[in-house]
Amino acid sequence: MKLVSAIERKFFSWVDKRSPEQQEVFLRQRNIYILPTRYGWLMLLILILILVASTNYQNNMGFMAGFILLAIGMLSVFYTYRNVRGLRIRALKPQSVYVGQQCSFPFEFYNPSESYRSSIGIGENKKQVQYFDVEPQSKTLFQVKVKAAKRGLLKPQRLVCTSIFPFGIFQVWSWFKPNHVALIYPKPIECPQILAPQSQGQEEGAFAQKGSEDFHSLRDYQSGDPIKQVMWKAFARERGLLTKEFEELVGEQHLLTWESVSQYDKELAISYLTDAVIKAEQAGNLYGLELPKIRIGKGQGAEHLHQCLSALALME
Amino acid sequence: MNTQSLPLTRPGIIPLLIMVQAIVLSPLWFHLPAWISASTIALLLTRFVVYKKAIKLPSWLILVLALCALGGVFLYFRTISGRDAGVGLISLMYTFKLLEAKNYRDGALILFISFFILVTAFLYDESILMGVYLLIVMMSILMGLIALNSTKGVAGIRNLGKISGVTLLQALPIMLVLFFLFPRLSGPLWAMPSSSEAGMGIDDEMSPGAISSLYGFDEIAFRVDFEGEAPSINQMYWRGLVLSEFDGIAWKIGVESPLRGESYPDGTPAYQYRVQLEPHNRRWIFGLEDLIDPPKEKVYLFNNYTWRQSQRVTQRLLYSAQSYELDYSGIELSQWQRQLNTQLPEDGNEQTKEWAVEQYQQVGDPEEFVRFVLSYIRQQNYHYTLLPEVIEQNVIDGFWLGSQEGYCEHYSSAFVFIMRAAGIPARVVTGYQGGEYNPYGDYYIIRQKDAHAWTEVWLEGEGWRRVDPTAAIHPSRVDDSLLGQTSSRDDWFTDFDSLTTTDSEIARSIWQQISLRWDAMQSFWNESLMGYDKDMQFNWLSKMGINHNQWRYLGYALLATVLLAGAGFGLWILSQARSRDKVERAYRHFQITLAKQGIELKLNEGPKDLLRRIKQEHPELYPKAERVIKRYIAIRYQKQKVSDANKQSFIKSARAYH
Repeated sequence: MKLVSAIERKFFSWVDKRSPEQQEVFLRQRNIYILPTRYGWLMLLILILILVASTNYQNNMGFMAGFILLAIGMLSVFYTYRNVRGLRIRALKPQSVYVGQQCSFPFEFYNPSESYRSSIGIGENKKQVQYFDVEPQSKTLFQVKVKAAKRGLLKPQRLVCTSIFPFGIFQVWSWFKPNHVALIYPKPIECPQILAPQSQGQEEGAFAQKGSEDFHSLRDYQSGDPIKQVMWKAFARERGLLTKEFEELVGEQHLLTWESVSQYDKELAISYLTDAVIKAEQAGNLYGLELPKIRIGKGQGAEHLHQCLSALALME
Repeated sequence: MNTQSLPLTRPGIIPLLIMVQAIVLSPLWFHLPAWISASTIALLLTRFVVYKKAIKLPSWLILVLALCALGGVFLYFRTISGRDAGVGLISLMYTFKLLEAKNYRDGALILFISFFILVTAFLYDESILMGVYLLIVMMSILMGLIALNSTKGVAGIRNLGKISGVTLLQALPIMLVLFFLFPRLSGPLWAMPSSSEAGMGIDDEMSPGAISSLYGFDEIAFRVDFEGEAPSINQMYWRGLVLSEFDGIAWKIGVESPLRGESYPDGTPAYQYRVQLEPHNRRWIFGLEDLIDPPKEKVYLFNNYTWRQSQRVTQRLLYSAQSYELDYSGIELSQWQRQLNTQLPEDGNEQTKEWAVEQYQQVGDPEEFVRFVLSYIRQQNYHYTLLPEVIEQNVIDGFWLGSQEGYCEHYSSAFVFIMRAAGIPARVVTGYQGGEYNPYGDYYIIRQKDAHAWTEVWLEGEGWRRVDPTAAIHPSRVDDSLLGQTSSRDDWFTDFDSLTTTDSEIARSIWQQISLRWDAMQSFWNESLMGYDKDMQFNWLSKMGINHNQWRYLGYALLATVLLAGAGFGLWILSQARSRDKVERAYRHFQITLAKQGIELKLNEGPKDLLRRIKQEHPELYPKAERVIKRYIAIRYQKQKVSDANKQSFIKSARAYH
């Protein structure tokens, strides 16, 4: 088995050399491979049976049927090859997703010819593909879904574009490596401990204080509520722990720091911060991120969120 | 191969598979035992109902039914090997497979096995209609495969037909070349049990009514193609059997033995001809008189100058033969031959015996006596009819001296009896006489109704002389229904031009023409395609000058065919792709022009990047190049379909760029 896998590795490194990473692949002779399918081998067996039986029974009709079968087999090499030849596959930029989600890599299949391309399959290997059609002189968008298992950059594996159309006797395929990478955000996990708001420093602190001044209502304390919002006066009067709720949280400022979570396992800490960043963005707060090597100033919006999540995703 | 995303549940796949199975099995329904045919039809119908009503059959039920079918086949045939049992079993299992088909794998298996099952039908029938059937069934299996392998299933049925039709059209020439080049063997690889199908034809026993019973049958006994000159139709005596033993009612073969090669008689060659003998399930091989050299291996010449094959003729037999005029000068009639051919039963038919002895004494000479009896038939009131009076006892007496009406077997039987009664060795010969000329294929059709019986008489110094007593009957005494039928059918063609023909006659001649043309096609099919064998293969090879290592040359030719066909199709596909992708070619042309202007050609560069590069490196080219590249981008990266006009204008501008 070791030998087999070694040969396989060697083979695929050769394949990779032949089909380097690129944004657009043009399927043609040098990158299209062809072999019979298992049903192709079955057909060969049936053909041999037919020829032996025809020889034995001196049956010329049998020979005719056998040779039509042989001719169909020969022709299907060309038909199947023609079905993928000239297709252009363009990798489009994938959307970022969180760990645990399906990351879809979009591909655009362009068929510049005037022939209809049926049952073009694409997938990670020849055994697991999804089929679709590409109409003449048009484009089809197709997504390859890969489960995002790790934060950071996700490179799709070597993909295979294949077809067994029209008869399923031969399978043509082409390996290609799209040069696009997807950024996988860490998995957001809610932190049991409050990470924000954390008023610190002078310039931002004041802003936070002001926001928490005009509170709106009271409710029972729940674990995780910020200590600062506990109504200590009520506690002193033995009315239990009450939390002040504020009318507007918009004005809040959060600086999410690595120190606040550094006691946790690194990956878990990253997940906590991710959750906090998302929550802050959802709440519409201004937030910043301070990581060991990167510091992102306060901000808001999709672009800012992406910046923060990217920093978390790529943290070493 | 992903089989999950090509499920059998796509619309129309199952009905298409049912249709394919029905087409594949349909010719077998006429040959398999009725219960097997009925079971396969019932299974197909069941499958259709299961599909329509979306019922789920328990798999144990299918298994139990399949086992019952297996048991049934075994009980019926007492074996599960052999042609009939094997074909029956495989067709039953084939339909069961569809009943339990669940996924792509089952569908593909069914379709590929169809290729094998369709061939089994050819073991029963190789007629020209089966050739048409071959195309239809291939087409339907291909349609099934295309539907199975396309995401849309049966949706594009027009497309299905087109693709499979084109495939078949391209496959046919390759098939024909391979068919003629593939090396053939002269015999089977292993012995096969002979089929026990009854054939029609002349039997080895002749009693009154035996040959006239064949009269109503238009079935073809054999076809004959003369190389060079043909004898006149009334001289065509196709010798089958010689009957020497008479028991008072029926004539039988009696004792006969094969001749060794060195004891073959001499003869002068007369006509060269080729025969397509339809299977008649008997051993005798017909040939134009006189017969010497056996036309095929395992065919032997017997001492009464007839041919026998060691096996029954159960398949169409093709052979080339030569007719001779036998030279009896060196041949003496042996004692036991003389005894055999003068033998008569001890008693019965006494009156005819007496009559013969009496007349012979008056005539005296055997040759004169033959002439006398023939003219007697001509002058006396002898009738030729299909429906003679039935005579119970003393058949010869009753005919010769009583009813005086009969068919050829009555005449030949009585004639031989009379000769033998007079002590002259004589025997009955059966076979066919005459034939119908087919001008569309230049050959003769000999049908069952041409079956005939005539006689041979041994004359000292001359040998066996053929005497046909039936021909001696005066034409006025031939039954109307027989007149113009035997051995003069080609008269129809002369009638066709005459002015006096009536409408019905014209209709009949048109029908005649059509059926003759059809028969000519069948003859060609049987002879050139179905009859193509090792001999014919080596024949044309030696005509081309290849007399040694024929198989090696056939191998070379096969290889060359496959390579040439491959190269041809490869080039065809390349050229097709080239001519189709005009936009790309125009863009490539444009890129090359740019390269000449100093902008390096980068193959994997997108058009946008190229435009950017032009802006940076050669801003002076930018305005002109931009127009071309923008159009290209519009065509290449637009979501909707691009109009031809847009493409044309791009191609023009790209070509015009300088």
